[in-house]
Amino acid sequence: MNRLISLLAQAGLWLAAFISVFPFLWMITGATNTANDITGGRFLPGTNLLPNIAKFFELVDAGQVFFNSFFVAITGTALTLIVSSLAGYGFEIFASKTRDRVFAGLLLLLSVPFAAMMIPLFVMFSSAGLINSYIAMIAPGIASIFMIFYFRQNTKSFPHELRDAAKLDGLKEWQIFWFIYIPVMRSTYAAAMIILFMTNWNAYLWPLIVLQTNDMKTITLTVASLATAYTPDYGLIMIANVLATLPTILVFFLLQRRFVEGMLGGVK
Amino acid sequence: MKMTAFKGVMAVAGIQLITATMALATDITVWCWAPEFNGAAMNEAIARYTAANPDTKITVVDFAKGDLEQKLQTQLASGTTEGLPDIVLIEDYGAQKYLLSFPGAFEPLTDKIDYSQFAKYKVDLATVDGQTYSLPFDSGVTGLFYRSDLLEQAGYKADDLKDITWEQLSAIGDKVKEATGKPLLSIDINDAGAMRIMLQSAGSWYFNADGTPNIKDNPVFKAALTTWVGMLKNQNLYKSVSGWGEYTGAFNNGDVAGVFTGVWMTGGIKGNNMAGKWAVAPIPKLDGVEGAGHASNLGGSSWYVLSSAPSKDAAIDFLQKVWASDVDFYQKILVGQGAFGAYLPAREGEAYSASDDYFGGQSVWKDFSDWQAAIPGVNYGIFTNEADAAVAAQLPGLVAGGDIDAAIEAIDAQIAQQIQ
Amino acid sequence: MHTGLTRRENLTGWAFTAPALVLLGLFMIYPILWSLYMSFMTGKGMNFKFGGFANIYRLTQDPIFLHALGNTLTFLAIQVPIMIILALVFAVALNNPRLRGRAVLRTAIFLPCVTSLVVYSVLFKSMFADDGVVNDALLFLHIISEPIPWMNDPFWAKVLIILAITWRWTGYNMVFYLAALQNIDPSIYEQARIDGVPARARFFKITIPMLRHVILFTTVLSTIGTLQLFDEVNTITASQGQGGRPADATLTLSLYIYNLTFRFMPSFGYAATISWVIVILVGLLSWAQFRLAREK
Repeated sequence: MNRLISLLAQAGLWLAAFISVFPFLWMITGATNTANDITGGRFLPGTNLLPNIAKFFELVDAGQVFFNSFFVAITGTALTLIVSSLAGYGFEIFASKTRDRVFAGLLLLLSVPFAAMMIPLFVMFSSAGLINSYIAMIAPGIASIFMIFYFRQNTKSFPHELRDAAKLDGLKEWQIFWFIYIPVMRSTYAAAMIILFMTNWNAYLWPLIVLQTNDMKTITLTVASLATAYTPDYGLIMIANVLATLPTILVFFLLQRRFVEGMLGGVK
Repeated sequence: MKMTAFKGVMAVAGIQLITATMALATDITVWCWAPEFNGAAMNEAIARYTAANPDTKITVVDFAKGDLEQKLQTQLASGTTEGLPDIVLIEDYGAQKYLLSFPGAFEPLTDKIDYSQFAKYKVDLATVDGQTYSLPFDSGVTGLFYRSDLLEQAGYKADDLKDITWEQLSAIGDKVKEATGKPLLSIDINDAGAMRIMLQSAGSWYFNADGTPNIKDNPVFKAALTTWVGMLKNQNLYKSVSGWGEYTGAFNNGDVAGVFTGVWMTGGIKGNNMAGKWAVAPIPKLDGVEGAGHASNLGGSSWYVLSSAPSKDAAIDFLQKVWASDVDFYQKILVGQGAFGAYLPAREGEAYSASDDYFGGQSVWKDFSDWQAAIPGVNYGIFTNEADAAVAAQLPGLVAGGDIDAAIEAIDAQIAQQIQ
Repeated sequence: MHTGLTRRENLTGWAFTAPALVLLGLFMIYPILWSLYMSFMTGKGMNFKFGGFANIYRLTQDPIFLHALGNTLTFLAIQVPIMIILALVFAVALNNPRLRGRAVLRTAIFLPCVTSLVVYSVLFKSMFADDGVVNDALLFLHIISEPIPWMNDPFWAKVLIILAITWRWTGYNMVFYLAALQNIDPSIYEQARIDGVPARARFFKITIPMLRHVILFTTVLSTIGTLQLFDEVNTITASQGQGGRPADATLTLSLYIYNLTFRFMPSFGYAATISWVIVILVGLLSWAQFRLAREK
């Protein structure tokens, strides 16, 4: 009986894994097919991979587009990691009544729909003369409420003895944070890095609003533009999809060893 | 234009340095969607203009259509003009919405462009209080594109598709399905485009000229809705699709035998290696509706100049020099992109009268020209998106057997609520 | 928690949190105040004037708003529990050290959340077409005899949206549970097993209570996400650039806000009012969820 349940559970898991991965397979096969094959539901590798790739590189200034995406994703991720972990550390280590109230208030901020904030945000950036800049794309996401929560929770598992010992050794607060907290919490940072890279790389609505020129476009915006032609070419769109997804998958595989480890304690 | 005249003087005077700084001042930015269509036509125009004006640099930035509208609306609403382009493409249905909700944002071109040279309905829809704001670009004159080979299998010749009603088209669909196994059309039930085509073909619209809803007591609206629902109920007539990609995919890969849509689809249809197998007929007409004809419009868009644009004068000059005077340019984009301009003198050009082997030697462009001349002008008003949403919300219920009058009541109520 | 901070420590606390708080003040508080101000304005585009509570009255008279509210709550009531339960079940199953292929399974189930919205909506649209691979597969397996009109039927469109969100976020939530599970001392289970507690009871009596906080955390986040549901219904069930199809069956509050701001004749004040409805709903539901978790 137990064996049966265990077999069923295993089968269920493999089915779930298959369903999870299937759209990726569909995308990869699609990239090798022509538009008509894809809309016709063909799920076999085709021979149109090279023409699709050629068309993509002909239509898209790939170098610029990927540079923009990487630049925005890496800078955005790095800055968010620093600012949010500083805040999470501050809220937890130096907990006070006032700060706890501020912290609770952040949750409510999280609930305001972004669509309602886009116009005032846009006004701010344009009056600062920052429209169509990397700063405008990155800045609103740097103080991520979710990440502040995440780092505060993780800080609970940061051993206080380490901090106390460091203080005895005469280290300043920022030194403790920089030389002890960050190295000790590197798995936490790795997990956050995956999530942030993903979020920044995939950002769509806000970059769309603040970008004005082709040389600032990211790959995510490019895919959207390709997908709405009068007669969309699905072969082209699929190869664009593959190229747009590859970096996030790579980042995930590079950091995944630390990922679950990093989530650990994140939510005790 | 002032700017170019000034530059001419400078060049004559040989003051190279000043000319060079002037060149910095004439950067023109254009926003549009559909790079392979609008973008390509624009780039052709740019090539022509910059050949004569090497100091002017014109850049096309393309976005998805919905994205472009969202950007434009955000930017105009924010009240800041920095970052706006000099020229923007706006779909004709949305023209009045932008002109009325953001007064002063767009530059009136009434004194700059000779509008008698453009299709009148395109001019009317961009006119507010006697001022016209657009450089009318492509027409959305409608036609019924069909696979002549498949229709022939079902026993139909070109003449059998002329002067028919929508009901007759539906009956033809039955035959086609029977003879070829393929439906005649692909239809996305969420797309209210067919309603727009039918309404305009009878000179009617969702709204009256004064902007009040024209739903409840509008016999054309009722006839169009009844006709369209009747067609939707005929499962043999169409392949049900969702979204644009599937819709175009269906006729592009030969799953269905035709499509009725705007002339801008011609380029897409010609991209399919099915030369000689396609033909175009006028769209069917609404049966028993006074004033209903075989000519209508779907989509189409026009160029607008932003009042705030730093290179406004150069932008207007560019539109005048190419878009409002270059007949040869229109031949080029007609052949290259299938972009059917609203500039009337272009119709005298060679390409417009040429026969097209892809369509079995039919003079398709001439046919479209004739139909275009017959399109009834209507005032699209400012709430077409809202009205479309209200209609689309009722369609599934109607196809499932809902009552037409009740649905009309509901559409009317929803529109009335939305436009306050 | 530390109490009795020195004055110096208190200042250090502010210093650490200051960068984030300044940025949040700039990029969130100001826009929120603007939207609060706008919610008292009526008019078209930038031609607006003070309208008092006119927008709130309009809410009560607006069948589309009520419809969107109903849809949003339907998604919330069905999707969040399904996803949370699935994520929990996967996490518990994957936590079994004797399971073969754990790393592969974990990675595969997590993978969907790395895709961008744009990519995943294109994929789902093509897979769930009437003659797409999903219907083909279901027909082939004789699970259905007619293709399911995923995107053209009001009921199936809702199902599709729920499937899509569940596909994308279950693995993400699962990782949180997996992490928390590994923090539970295995000896507790060992003891329970020795005491003859059956597997099911171990799940409900040990696992669930031990994971209470993380379940609360993910539920609150998922609730916020679903109340703001916009991406999927603006792309997957969109046609002609208008989301929420068919027949507004997948129209959500956030999408309605978007339409009122960007697609329709701009009605910024009314759109702002609806966004406050979402804020209030989130506040109420989070409060209820916190209460529930505390009582447990």
